[in-house]
Amino acid sequence: MKRLPVLIGFFTAAAMALTQAPVGFTRDEGYYFTAAQSYEAWLKIFFHSPAAAIAQTERYWSYNFEHPGLTKLLFALSHLAFTPWLPDTLAWRLPAFFFAGLLSYWLCVLGLSRSRAAGILAPLLFWCAERTFFHGHLACFDVPICALWAGVGVAWLAALRRLPATGYRPPVWFGILYGISLAVKHNAWVLPGVLLVHGLLIRERRRALLTLPWILLSPIVLVACWPLLWHDPLRHLGDWIAFHTHHVHYAWWYFGAVLRAPPFPIAYPLVVDALALPLPLVVLLAAAGLSLLVDFARRRLDAQRLLELGLAGAAVLPFMLRTTPIFGGIKHWLAFVALLTPEAAGLLVKAADLAGFRRAVQIAAAAVLLPGAWQIVHLHPYGTSAYGELAGDVPGAATLGMQRQYWSNNVTAVLPWLNAHCPPGARVYFHEVNVESYRAYILSGMLRGDIRYAGGPADADYVALQWHREFRDREPETWNAFGTHRPATGLYLDEVPQIVVYARPGLPGAP
Amino acid sequence: MNRLPAAGYRLPFVFIVVLGIGSLAFDLTLSARLPSDGDWAEAAAALRANTQPGDAVQIWPVWAERARSFVDTMPVLAEEDPIGADYAGVRRLWVLSLPRTPFFSLPDLANRGATPASGERRFGALALRAWDLHAPAIAADLTASAEQHEVDYVARRCVRVPIGAHFAVRGAAGTALHVRAGVIGERAYDNGRPPVEVRVVVDGTPLVELAVPRAERDGTGWRKADVPLPPGAPDRDFEFFVSSPDAGRPFCLAAWTTR
Repeated sequence: MKRLPVLIGFFTAAAMALTQAPVGFTRDEGYYFTAAQSYEAWLKIFFHSPAAAIAQTERYWSYNFEHPGLTKLLFALSHLAFTPWLPDTLAWRLPAFFFAGLLSYWLCVLGLSRSRAAGILAPLLFWCAERTFFHGHLACFDVPICALWAGVGVAWLAALRRLPATGYRPPVWFGILYGISLAVKHNAWVLPGVLLVHGLLIRERRRALLTLPWILLSPIVLVACWPLLWHDPLRHLGDWIAFHTHHVHYAWWYFGAVLRAPPFPIAYPLVVDALALPLPLVVLLAAAGLSLLVDFARRRLDAQRLLELGLAGAAVLPFMLRTTPIFGGIKHWLAFVALLTPEAAGLLVKAADLAGFRRAVQIAAAAVLLPGAWQIVHLHPYGTSAYGELAGDVPGAATLGMQRQYWSNNVTAVLPWLNAHCPPGARVYFHEVNVESYRAYILSGMLRGDIRYAGGPADADYVALQWHREFRDREPETWNAFGTHRPATGLYLDEVPQIVVYARPGLPGAP
Repeated sequence: MNRLPAAGYRLPFVFIVVLGIGSLAFDLTLSARLPSDGDWAEAAAALRANTQPGDAVQIWPVWAERARSFVDTMPVLAEEDPIGADYAGVRRLWVLSLPRTPFFSLPDLANRGATPASGERRFGALALRAWDLHAPAIAADLTASAEQHEVDYVARRCVRVPIGAHFAVRGAAGTALHVRAGVIGERAYDNGRPPVEVRVVVDGTPLVELAVPRAERDGTGWRKADVPLPPGAPDRDFEFFVSSPDAGRPFCLAAWTTR
């Protein structure tokens, strides 16, 4: 049984690696690439002279202080190790594929406790949607923390299930894994609370209360993986916590209104999930959530299902407080979707078994997975723009007034056009593409090296606008600067504008 | 305990399979409900063949902005409220729409007193119909601006007037003055900002004051004042004084008179 999760994890990572090339660099990824470059420079010093490196941690690790160091350290190590053979950006992204594989591994493990089919289906249900599939490619933290959300749960359950007959073995792995999750992203702050409540509600309460203190290993892991904390740790920890407890609110378009500040709609994360994911998956996840809640109310949950309910709830509930920042589509509560998939897979298999048909499981799985597979085929790599059937797909979501896209990765669609038409040294206003991502596009060969980064439409020869409700002023600004309203090219997904390119009249490609 | 009939056990399975097939069918047929390049080109050609002075195109839904790549003979407008929009200077409005897209609902321009000026023509997934707006004729476009700025998420033809400055122009009076004003871009929503006042003086006599408070809801940032002009000379001096304790926001003004 252990081979199946490994196989599924391997195939997931391979699928990400094989489909990553067209995925644009998100704003955040640009920052993490820059951080990885800085950390790599520090690693080179460290391998040569550890004492000198330790003395300079502040200089190399202060960049992107708001996120712990582990994933960026892995991006840096991967780049250091693989760039002789792999392109830079692929080398940075490799650890992300590893985390995507780990997520599949742990979802499969949770599913297998129900049936072999559920073990296969749980990761498939998670990945068979363009939003989740897209996030699996990024050198970011959302899928890694989602994976560890599941991983910490599996390790916790393993520690609780260890038979007394095998003698006492300290749950070191659980403590270390929680430390790793803490070193990936601050979402992990809420996990001890979930585990404590879980431990108090299950029959194995004593064992749980003996296991939980092992999370005290986590600060050691956090400090070991984050050299920024090696000097003045309290100040850096304070900065980390303060950044997230005082996080800025980005404007977000939701049913025709731009949400700018709290209070946000209480059902916001559930509604966005329902609209962004394929409808059969939404229905199945809703059934899974209801099934867990009903069985919880009837006290029929075993330790694993109770934990799945707790972890799924803890992933989404902070975003229903009405004050937590809500930007970023569904990425901040991916673990909510992930932790419901084992139950959803179990329900699907159960429904198929009850039907009593031959191949009923395969038919039901195809019915649920094919719309998501089509979404991937149709929309990849434009994952932040994807909407499901309940929203009326991309055009329906645009009519409803839902956030069109976020970050700036969709710009990849027009880079070949810019490469083909821009005269040497042309200045392009890339709008939401930050300098870090622009540099990454040049580094990866996706953008010509002579194309310059313009600060605004007025000093640009070409403009590549990302359609964002809150940045609508940029388009008239471009019309005023260029004296034309006619785009040169663009990315339109099912007719809905995502990227609109303007060229100054007279320049190559201008209409 | 009663046992369900066999069909009852199959219900969840049947439900999920039907839902999956339905969802996939919706996805796979979506492109058939969207216009092709050929549809756009044909609609643009029809507009080219029928263009008259004072024509403009309103796209619907407002995200159908790919029209800008094809329509080259008249302004393409993306007003979000076609019933309440000014359409200043537009005599005939062509509504170019995608009626087979999800949640499509076209506001009835008859509710603003417009009447159809043509039958509906179809170009694949596109629909085109002209409307006579029966708008009063413009006497003078006082702010006649070639520039456009976004206020309330709509590109508007207006002049940028710094807060604290004034805009003066001489023009035909007509019978009514129409003033529109708003803060450009997202700064309209800045918390705790004082309102902007627009004081209109005609031939040295104060005529009207228009307050532009901080926009709290989308769709409330483009403020309007429509006032009759007292009898007098056919041409007048119009002055617009823009003031606010907070002068840091970009501000846009449009004004015209009608006969």
